[in-house]
Amino acid sequence: MQGRIAIGELVLAAFFVALGLLWVWTAARMPLWQGFAPQSGFMPLWYGITLIGLTAAVVVNLFIGKEPAREEPIGKPLLVLATFAAGIAGLEPMGFGPAMFLMLLFMFVFIERLSIVPSLLVSVATTAVLFLIFRTWLKVTLPIGPLGF
Amino acid sequence: MGPLADLMQGFMTAVTPMNLLMCFAGVLLGQIIGVLPGIGPSAAIALLLPLTYGASPTGAIIMFAGLYYGAQYGGTLTSVLINVPGESSSVMTSIDGYRMATQGRGGVALGIAAIGSFIAGTFGTIGLMLLAPPLALMALAFGPPEYCMLVLLGLTALAAVGGSVIKGLAAGVAGLLLGTVGIDPQVGVPRFYFGQSWLLDGVDFIILTVALFGVGEVLASCRSSAAEPILNVGRVLPNREEWGQAWKAILRGTGIGFLIGVLPAAGATIASFVSYIVEKKVAKDPSRFGRGAIEGVAGPEASNNAASAGAMVPMFALGVPGSGTTAVMLGALIMFGLRPGPEMFTTNATLVWAVIASMYIGNFLLLIMNLPLAGLFARLLQLRYSWIYPPILAICVTGVISHANNVEDAWLMLGFGVIGWLMKRYDWPAAPVVLGLVLGPLFENTLRQSLTLSHGSGMIFVSRPIAAVLLLIALLAVLVPPAIDMIRQRRALA
Repeated sequence: MQGRIAIGELVLAAFFVALGLLWVWTAARMPLWQGFAPQSGFMPLWYGITLIGLTAAVVVNLFIGKEPAREEPIGKPLLVLATFAAGIAGLEPMGFGPAMFLMLLFMFVFIERLSIVPSLLVSVATTAVLFLIFRTWLKVTLPIGPLGF
Repeated sequence: MGPLADLMQGFMTAVTPMNLLMCFAGVLLGQIIGVLPGIGPSAAIALLLPLTYGASPTGAIIMFAGLYYGAQYGGTLTSVLINVPGESSSVMTSIDGYRMATQGRGGVALGIAAIGSFIAGTFGTIGLMLLAPPLALMALAFGPPEYCMLVLLGLTALAAVGGSVIKGLAAGVAGLLLGTVGIDPQVGVPRFYFGQSWLLDGVDFIILTVALFGVGEVLASCRSSAAEPILNVGRVLPNREEWGQAWKAILRGTGIGFLIGVLPAAGATIASFVSYIVEKKVAKDPSRFGRGAIEGVAGPEASNNAASAGAMVPMFALGVPGSGTTAVMLGALIMFGLRPGPEMFTTNATLVWAVIASMYIGNFLLLIMNLPLAGLFARLLQLRYSWIYPPILAICVTGVISHANNVEDAWLMLGFGVIGWLMKRYDWPAAPVVLGLVLGPLFENTLRQSLTLSHGSGMIFVSRPIAAVLLLIALLAVLVPPAIDMIRQRRALA
């Protein structure tokens, strides 16, 4: 797909500008300078202003650029992202083991259309190896659900 | 002690069973990471960080260094056998390497790459050993203005390497900005935590690195996940004629790679490009290049490995990384409670010299692993990305929540992962964000100290010679690449 400007890049630039504005707005309410020394708000204020300026320069370049933007389809990455988010959301109510297992299985079987048996095996093995390394070996407290893991 | 005595001490630490194991694990993982698509050494180091919490910093850094130079060789396999460079530093290798493979000489291309990498890695490590300590000694005289300008140089140089200098600079400033979240290091006042107590410790380096290099990379690469058809490896050792053509290219590539690697942020990719151009220039018959010239593989491969060793010079001696991966390693050093910079050679001499010694061992391990096992590593190429990326995402989430037992961190990683995906998609470099976050507190402290020393005058940065020179180089790093582009465009239009 080709267009004049990549919408996704404008979204990214808007995020950086918003971040810069948030920093400028917050830093302006902090002490900036006292005596000879810069205070807590001084550097963040300048970082915010610089980020807004640089991002604006990128956006101007996008508009005056001669090459049309190329947009690749985002359906699959968005599906992977949603599954990943669901996996994270399931960590506390379901526990680490079931949440990771279901996330992996969904990605293998429904997103990648891989065979069910190897998908089941790889999902179980990956979850088990991660659980053994982090919970058993490194003694890390992972979220535990009703099933106990 | 002289460098040789220091090196001997380093060998004594590096050959302990645990450190040898870490070195072997590092180069083996590096090889695998270099071969597998969609995950680079920066992401791999970030994902391994949670596993090294309990380990000694020396062992962990030995493993990360091994992974870094091991990945350079792993990228060669994909370049030669499927014409897909695993790392950007292997792009030039694919030009003649893949042609050699289609002519049935893929094994020779891999063999000369392994031999060239070994020679270059060894000479590069000697250069690191000889150059880093005097550079660190010189930098011990640095005050806050010099340090401030040094950090500025590191940030601008890394920002200037990618496709767009402005995007690189914006990414670096975004990292600096994120580095201000938490407690102000000078006056102890909380700032930019937006009422969220879990942000009082600041944005964690691991979360940002895993998100940008792990999650972002997966989201950017998951769209195409088919396996590539691979060519046969065949004979690995070069014959007398091939060796005669390649050895000078290896030596030239070593020199070029090390010198370019030492420059802040220039890195292995530029080194391999320059080496290829030089080989083509000095060749009696330049028309052989692009049709399977062995020098076109030997030179760039030697060059990118020597650059990996060279990139460690500014990291160890000055605390300024020479590449994206060393930026992540720098963050790892800070995570282990060490302060990278000139003092490393005095306060953590055992670690630094053990890592340098381990690089000799690691290069030797790579050579003996690669000559007989090139065919075996090539089989990894048959693994579809569909099987790789879901476990990578599971490792990302486990690594991040294990860091502080906090599920909020996983959500923060997801958010940064989306930013990393968009950055990758639209060619915004991610390494400057990490570097900005890592070096942000040092930059802010030294800038505020410098301005306090000068009673608020910015002239302190131009009145002190070393600071002025560093500032000048930083400005040149930003201004020269766009100027060259403009001249090229005008010439093209004329």
